[in-house]
Order: sequence, then structure tokens, then C-alpha cells
Amino acid sequence: MMRPSVKPRVAFFDFASCEGCQLQVINLEESVIDLIDIVDVVSFREAMKEHSDDYDIAFVEGSIMRPMDAERLKKIRERAKILVALGACACIGGINALRNRYSVEHVKKVVYGDADIEGNPFFDVFHTKAVGDVVDVDYYVYGCPISRDELAKVITSLALGKKPEIPNYPVCVECKKKENVCIFEKGGFCLGPVTRAGCGAICPTNGSGCEGCRGLVDNPNTDSELDVLKKYGLTVEDALGRFDLFCYKYKGEVSK
Amino acid sequence: MRVIKKEDFKEFVNLLIGDDTKEVVGVKAKGGKFVYDELSSADELRLDFDVTVLSPKKYFMPPVETLLRYDLSSDFKVEPVNEVTPLIIIGIHPYDLIALQQLETVFRDTYPDANHLLKLERSILIGTNMQNVSPHSFAASMGTATTRYGYDLMLTDIGDSYYIEIGSDRGEDLLERYARVSKPDKTHEQRFESVINGIESKFQKALNFPPEELPSILARTYDSKLWAEKAEKCLSCGSCNLVCPTCYCFDVQDVTELNLRRGERIRTWDGCLLEDFAKVATGENFREDRASRYRHRFMRKGKFLYERFGFIACVGCGRCASGCLPDIADPVEIYNTLKEEAL
Repeated sequence: MMRPSVKPRVAFFDFASCEGCQLQVINLEESVIDLIDIVDVVSFREAMKEHSDDYDIAFVEGSIMRPMDAERLKKIRERAKILVALGACACIGGINALRNRYSVEHVKKVVYGDADIEGNPFFDVFHTKAVGDVVDVDYYVYGCPISRDELAKVITSLALGKKPEIPNYPVCVECKKKENVCIFEKGGFCLGPVTRAGCGAICPTNGSGCEGCRGLVDNPNTDSELDVLKKYGLTVEDALGRFDLFCYKYKGEVSK
Repeated sequence: MRVIKKEDFKEFVNLLIGDDTKEVVGVKAKGGKFVYDELSSADELRLDFDVTVLSPKKYFMPPVETLLRYDLSSDFKVEPVNEVTPLIIIGIHPYDLIALQQLETVFRDTYPDANHLLKLERSILIGTNMQNVSPHSFAASMGTATTRYGYDLMLTDIGDSYYIEIGSDRGEDLLERYARVSKPDKTHEQRFESVINGIESKFQKALNFPPEELPSILARTYDSKLWAEKAEKCLSCGSCNLVCPTCYCFDVQDVTELNLRRGERIRTWDGCLLEDFAKVATGENFREDRASRYRHRFMRKGKFLYERFGFIACVGCGRCASGCLPDIADPVEIYNTLKEEAL
């Protein structure tokens, strides 16, 4: 009998995000019954009214945009034994990090115009940060949105006391296993060769290039990826632009 | 030897499809490329293919395969799983037939692998000689452009008919039961000879030396600068491994369901070019840098497996070269350069 005698207490939190990754948890459908059989969900704003600050595992969705977010996140970290970043926004800054190419002042001006927000902590934003830029993260569930299978894998691994196996190989691996014709050979562009797999190559399998929503592998060969993008007809600028949508975080390293 | 008229061959294939005892797969077009897939009619079969994206290895060593199922809920229960769909595969080029033979040797070695061997045993392999050749293929250099073994039947397009070589009793039985064939006459024999003799001239790529020299060339070039130079561009994407008909490395994982009761042990394709391939439990990685992983693949194909099994584990299909986005995987280019270095 490998099931834990005391169920771990689990809480879900959200920061700047569409909350779609938490929706994926709810979308586990009948497996939700299995989930609450092995863990006690003590806080989950999107799914229940109750809330408790006493938890073992915190799942955090969203990116960190303001000092007040950072403070709240630090408190969550203090209370949790294990903290799991949930989805692209939490893991790599995600789409929210797109605005990091502009100054904070410029962004505020564009969004709020001349409104009086001076000194109001709700509008006191800094450059978008991933959860791991602010606190230590124990495990990452990547993707936009996360994959339910991978989430289940992480939860079962934690419940069984083992390290979840998250791929550190690129999407090409999953594409080849599915015998997809390479997106580049079909005249498209793809970040698959440097992006962390685990999505089952869902975008290339359905005919569109990988946008890098799971972030890059641990040691991506971005120079070679840029060469490939150029070989297939992109300018340097356009090739770099491929990293904007999800992988802005890595762009500094890519363009070095 | 037999001959079958092309229209009779179509009927033969359709009869095989109509018979439910085995699933019939063959080469079909897909997005400008070719793949092995289930046939619903003989009209889908494209025996004029140059090369398929994946080799028929995928049927005998599936990309993801369940090895056992377990149930932890009461007594610890484990049952082995060996899901076998008996197949008739139509249209395997000689180099892929030889690759399948190599895999069989590997999977019979030490601990015979029932999951691989049973699938192979229950399947019928119908080869076809190459009508078209991939621009990256160099099978003629590797001695794998034609083969005299490894098939149940072997087809050669001789114009209005296929010339059929019979490689096994199973193959002969299949013809007897389903096909309208005749004995070849002199003209058929001459046309067959001429087609076979013309195959080598279709290759655009060639090694500059006999493949038997590879093990000693690689022994002398282990410290070549070439490995690091080429590997600088390597994406570590494993594409060269994954499309290779002779690569057989796999990873094994236990996947437990959310209920923490039932689960499966699966094996899935791995590749020595991937960063974590040689990483072990302590975090130590025996081939941490791209260059050592890149070199390892060529060493293994041309030297290590030769030393263990007596064959060069490259059949010259050229899939690695065509699948490599930064264009660094072409064995012809690498081996010919090393030959020069080793002089």
C-alpha cells in the first residue's frame, strides 16, 4: 500500500494570469475525484469557497507584476513545504513578460493614460517576473495552458514522494515519435528544437509551429536555432521575434 | 521466383486487406513525405517512395509501449503486457529490412526481448527494391541497396509486372492463397537483372571507402577536432536518433494514475544526443557536452556495435541527414572527412 496515510494539504493561488491553468485542474473531470481522494484541497478560489492558510503544497499560477504580489507570494512560500509553479506565466513570465520590452513608465502611460495612479499600490508595477524570480520553486508544470497529464504526473509523484519526470529534451522528440513532417519542411517556422517537450508536440502535430510556451530546455542551442530560422528564410530580427510571445525571458541570452 | 501483373498485385493487396487475420500496412504519402500506415485500399500504396519519415521499426519497437501494468491497491499485482497486432507490411526497402535484422540480433542478445520478438514473429515483411532514392541515401556504399535475406517476399518493379523473390514459406503460402502469379520467363528474368543492376547508379551520395574500414578509421579519429566543430551547431534534439532505423535505446518510466492504485510501466524511445541521456541518479552526466554526445553516435554506429555484434549499425538510409535542421548529421560527410584525417 503506497498511499500516504495523511493526505497532503494542497492550495491553489493565482497572480497575473487568465486562470486557465487552474481551469485545467478542474478539467481533470472524473479524475478530480481521484485527486481529492489523495490530497486535501484547502484553498482553491476558482473552485471552492473555503480557504485555509495551513497547507503543505502550494500551486501558484500567474506572473508577478507588483511589489504587493511579491509580498503575497513570499508569504505563500513561507507557509508551503513544496511550491509548484503552474503554467507559462508562473514558470517563465509567459505572455505577461511581453511588456518587459518597454519601460514600466511607458506601459503605465499606454494602459492608464493620465489617470491618477500615483502612490496607489495596485498600479505600482515593476517588470514582469516569473514566480522563480521572486521565491524558490520546487517543481514546474510548464505550458500555456498546462497539460492535465503532466499535472497528474506531478501530483502523483509528489504523493508518492518521488521527483516528477519533466522532459529536458526539445519538442522535436515528441514530433518525431508522432512521425510529423517537420514544420520547417512544410515552409513554417518552429521553436520546437529549443523548447522543452511535454506537450506531446500538440501545435506541430496540428500544423502550426511551436511558440515556445513551455520555455526552453535547460541548455538550448539558441545560436543554432537562430541559424536554422535564418536558413529557412527569416531575417535576424524576425527570427529573434519568434521568442517574444512566451520566451521574452530568454531573449537577452538569445541575441547575445 | 514468381511474377505478378500489376493489376493482379492490386487485387492481391486488396484481398489481404479484406482478410481480417492481419492488419495490412504499407507506404502512403503524407504531407509531401512518405510514411508506413494502415492501408484501406491498394490504391493508397506508393511503392515509388524514396524513403519514409520513420522506418518500420516503429511497429516492432513502438515509440511508446506499455511493458507491464501494476495494481497497488491490495496485494501487489503486476502483469506483463505484450500488445501484438500481427501485420503484413508492404514496401520495405532493403536497407530497412537489414536494419530490422540488426534490431532482431540486438533484442535477442542476453535477455531476449519478448515484446520486440513476438511482434516480429507474427508479422509478414514484403520488401520492395528501390525505384527512387532519397538524395541523402548512401545505401549502395553500405551494401544495403539490395538484400538476399530479411523478407518473406521481395518485389521488384519490372514494368507491367512485379518480379517476386520468395524469402520464406510464409511468403510462398501468402502467394498461394491470395495471388494470381506465374513463373518468370526469360524476359522477366532479364528485366529483373537490369533493374537490380541499375539501382546503384541512382545514389547521389557515396562513401569514399569500403565500410569495413570504419571501425579502424574511428579508432584513429576519436580525438578529432571535427566532433567539437560539428557539435557546436547541434540542437541536441535527438532527431538523428529518433528517425534512425537501427537506434534502439529506450527509457523506462512508471506512470501511476491519480488514484495511486493502478499504473503502467512504459518504455519510450530515447536518444544519445539528448542532454539527459547519460545522466544518472546523483546528477552526474557522463556525456555532458554536445561534442561527446555527437561523437558517441558515430562511434556507436561505426565501431562500438561492430565490436559487439559484427555489423556496422548504419544502413545508409540518410534519414538522419535529412532530419537534421543544422545539417551536421550526414554520415557520408563525416565519415569521408574522417577517412582523410585517418590517412
